[in-house]
Amino acid sequence: MKMRNILLVMTMVITTLLTGCAKKQDASERVLNIVSPAEIKGFDPIMADDLYSGREIGKIYEGLLAYHWLKVPYELVPNLAEAMPEVSKDGITYTFKLRKGVVFQDDAAFPNGKGREVEASDFVYSIKRLADSKSQANGWWILDGKLKGLNEWREKNEKLPVTNYAEEVEGLRAVDKYTLEFKLAKPFPQFLYALAMGFTSVVSKEVVEKYGKEFINHPVGTGPYILPKFDQGKRITYTKNPTFREKFYPSDASPELQGLLGDAGKRLPLVDKIVVHVMVESQPAWLKFNKGEIDYYSIPKDNFASAIKNNTLAPDLSAKGINLIIAPQLDLTYTGFNFDNKLFHNVKLRRAMALAFDEVKSNELFYNNTSFSAQGPVPPGIAGNIKDYKNPYKGPNLEAAKKMLAEAGYPDGKGLPEILYDIPDSTTSRQSGEFFQKQMEQIGIKIKISASPWPEFQAKLKKRGGQMFGLAWGADYPDAENFLQLFYGPNSSPGSNSTNYNNPEFNKQFEAAVMMQDSPARTAAYEKLNKFLAEEVVVIFNMHRQAYTLQQGWLKNYHNSDLSHDSYQYLDLDTAKKEEMLKKF
Amino acid sequence: MNLYSYILRRLLYVIPVLLGVCFLIFIIFNVVAPDPAYLLLGRHATIEQIATLHRELGIDRPFWEQYLAVVKTAFTFDFGYSWSSKQQIWEMIKAGAGPSLSITVPLFVITNTIAISIALLVSFYRGKFIDKAVLLISIAMMSISSLAYILFGQYFFAYKLGLFEISGYEPGFPHFIPYVILPIILYVAISWGPDTRFYRSVILDEVYQDYVRTARAKGVGELSIMFKHVLKNAMIPILTYVIIQIPFLILGLLLAEAFFSIPGLGGITIKAINTSDFPVIKAMTILSAVGFIIFGVITDVLYTVVDPRMRLK
Repeated sequence: MKMRNILLVMTMVITTLLTGCAKKQDASERVLNIVSPAEIKGFDPIMADDLYSGREIGKIYEGLLAYHWLKVPYELVPNLAEAMPEVSKDGITYTFKLRKGVVFQDDAAFPNGKGREVEASDFVYSIKRLADSKSQANGWWILDGKLKGLNEWREKNEKLPVTNYAEEVEGLRAVDKYTLEFKLAKPFPQFLYALAMGFTSVVSKEVVEKYGKEFINHPVGTGPYILPKFDQGKRITYTKNPTFREKFYPSDASPELQGLLGDAGKRLPLVDKIVVHVMVESQPAWLKFNKGEIDYYSIPKDNFASAIKNNTLAPDLSAKGINLIIAPQLDLTYTGFNFDNKLFHNVKLRRAMALAFDEVKSNELFYNNTSFSAQGPVPPGIAGNIKDYKNPYKGPNLEAAKKMLAEAGYPDGKGLPEILYDIPDSTTSRQSGEFFQKQMEQIGIKIKISASPWPEFQAKLKKRGGQMFGLAWGADYPDAENFLQLFYGPNSSPGSNSTNYNNPEFNKQFEAAVMMQDSPARTAAYEKLNKFLAEEVVVIFNMHRQAYTLQQGWLKNYHNSDLSHDSYQYLDLDTAKKEEMLKKF
Repeated sequence: MNLYSYILRRLLYVIPVLLGVCFLIFIIFNVVAPDPAYLLLGRHATIEQIATLHRELGIDRPFWEQYLAVVKTAFTFDFGYSWSSKQQIWEMIKAGAGPSLSITVPLFVITNTIAISIALLVSFYRGKFIDKAVLLISIAMMSISSLAYILFGQYFFAYKLGLFEISGYEPGFPHFIPYVILPIILYVAISWGPDTRFYRSVILDEVYQDYVRTARAKGVGELSIMFKHVLKNAMIPILTYVIIQIPFLILGLLLAEAFFSIPGLGGITIKAINTSDFPVIKAMTILSAVGFIIFGVITDVLYTVVDPRMRLK
């Protein structure tokens, strides 16, 4: 045999072998394939303070309330509660009736491995566990100071070697097997949002005690999916919970989501299995999506230009039946001043800096021109944001900035010391830091950048160090209070108010507003506070970002809803359509 | 010296080495690494929570106490639990070792076989076209970053041609095979160049020795000279180079594991570094150090097998 023939045969053999290396997709399976772009911390609800861990928690665990899947803006609905609570006239007492017959998922922690019924006392235990300082819960802040006697219980038990869960707390009581009562320390209507967050999901004492430290890797909830053990791997496979209660797809929707009512009345969950691919690198995830192996994915920064042309989807992606979903996010990016530093008490200096900042260019460079200019702290989509309001101190307006800087007492930056600008140590943060430096240079302000790893950066803010910093805030719940509190004096560092802004007048008005029930009067109060902070330029307000998500044509019922961590039970796949569409991939 | 007493003596070296390693990782953790409490407790952490966590993790204790705790861990191999995942570290290592080894072992065998074979071939044809071509290609391939190989491989072979899985991993034989072939091929492409150049220079050192000339004068065939004489005499540097790679096999491939979503020990180590998960960092460092020492001893012992003139001292 000639050399050429040998090579030919070898090539054929290798090609045949290699062709078998890629697995073929089975489009007939009702398996939802999604990506988590970050590692999952684990499955303890009280620890899940990041978006991605929260999403995983939501597949297994449930709380008293949830967000309506098809309502925009967000609307709370009962979940494990039978109905919305009865609230006393003074806004202090919240009484919940629990849904009967809800059981924990089967687990070896229960007698005969059969999950038992959820009772009001389970919620009391779960919330005490959130408050227990020995649990080191990341989510304690949502109830810190909110329930009568809970902080006292926490402090008392902190000193004891073993926490006394049997000790009663005035503000947290199981009235009977199915009745749960909360008493607030003072009126705080946003309390209900806390009950829709993963932190307050119900857990079983037996399971927590059986697995001890490793409870975080043994999720046992009441939710639509089960995961026998979490091994911190790169693929998390959930299957339907066979003991999940009767829960149905909603039959009503906001006008903009009417198109998602096709599965109205169907029993949940809709897909048999969910596979979460933990992929911290965007390139392979993007390729997998383009191959039809992932059902939806946010467009990575590096692929944005090829996927979106003139704010519409690129033709090659449209041809595959892929859809683009653009959704505003409830967030804020900002450049903060540390008000502990007297320099920044000069409002004209703050205004001059804000006027010098070219946010149009910043949007183009760092957000692919997809973000909204933030006029104040409250993002669009929640009460308190003022439609069509234009903050008079937004850049780029170099002339006005220079004039304002002179009025501030620093003509052309003369007499102004170099300002230290702290940023987390990442490529994008460095680039945006340098961009900010150049912007300020134009009016004569010298900025020195100091980049530190995220924990050190965070520590600096907590210890009230530094002068200026770049930060972003994502909503924990859809209420303006969650953004306005960033500037509330008593929340100063180490609290969430990293600016340490402390204005007694603002504090007073904020305290009054947050105690009001949702009403036009409260909206007006929020708007007033929003405008006040905007014109005070308490920070340089940068952007409210938008999510650009691509969804495969066969995925049903999807819409972008960051706060609904239980969304997966509503998603479905049109398997026939998938089989057909995959031919184009 | 008796083989056993030599091995025993060398293994006793583990003690000062481990003490040194403990000191280094302790200093790095306390001086360079960020405070883990801020990472573990999240953005709403209070100063009180941070202090409590410091107490619980033992990082508020005097330095000497913390150092002694590290030393104790190193000698008992009781690594405890991960601070972030709360898993037993031995369980994490057991779970991650399989995926890592499923790539690194075949990669190690294939790369070394290919590199030694090519090195022998080009040494045989030293100075000729094939030698120069291999040298040129290996230098060219070494100059490309490993990230470029991965990005190209995933895009072209897995996505465009559909020959392999883009990423992912299924534990257990033979399920993992489709997922490891592409990373192995890419890493063979990345590593064969430097390995070939090393083996070539080692073999060429031997090729010009007097005994080769003598063998040739005696009429021994070139192939026989290369395999029976040259390769055998080049075995000592080759063995050192090959065996010292073994303890690192278990550490996995950091970049490949991230891009191919392989749940190996490389990923666990990176995650531990990113979250200041000191117990995991400690465990991985100590295991590497011990592995390095043990395989160093194995190399020494093998020298005496390969070259009977060698004596253990």
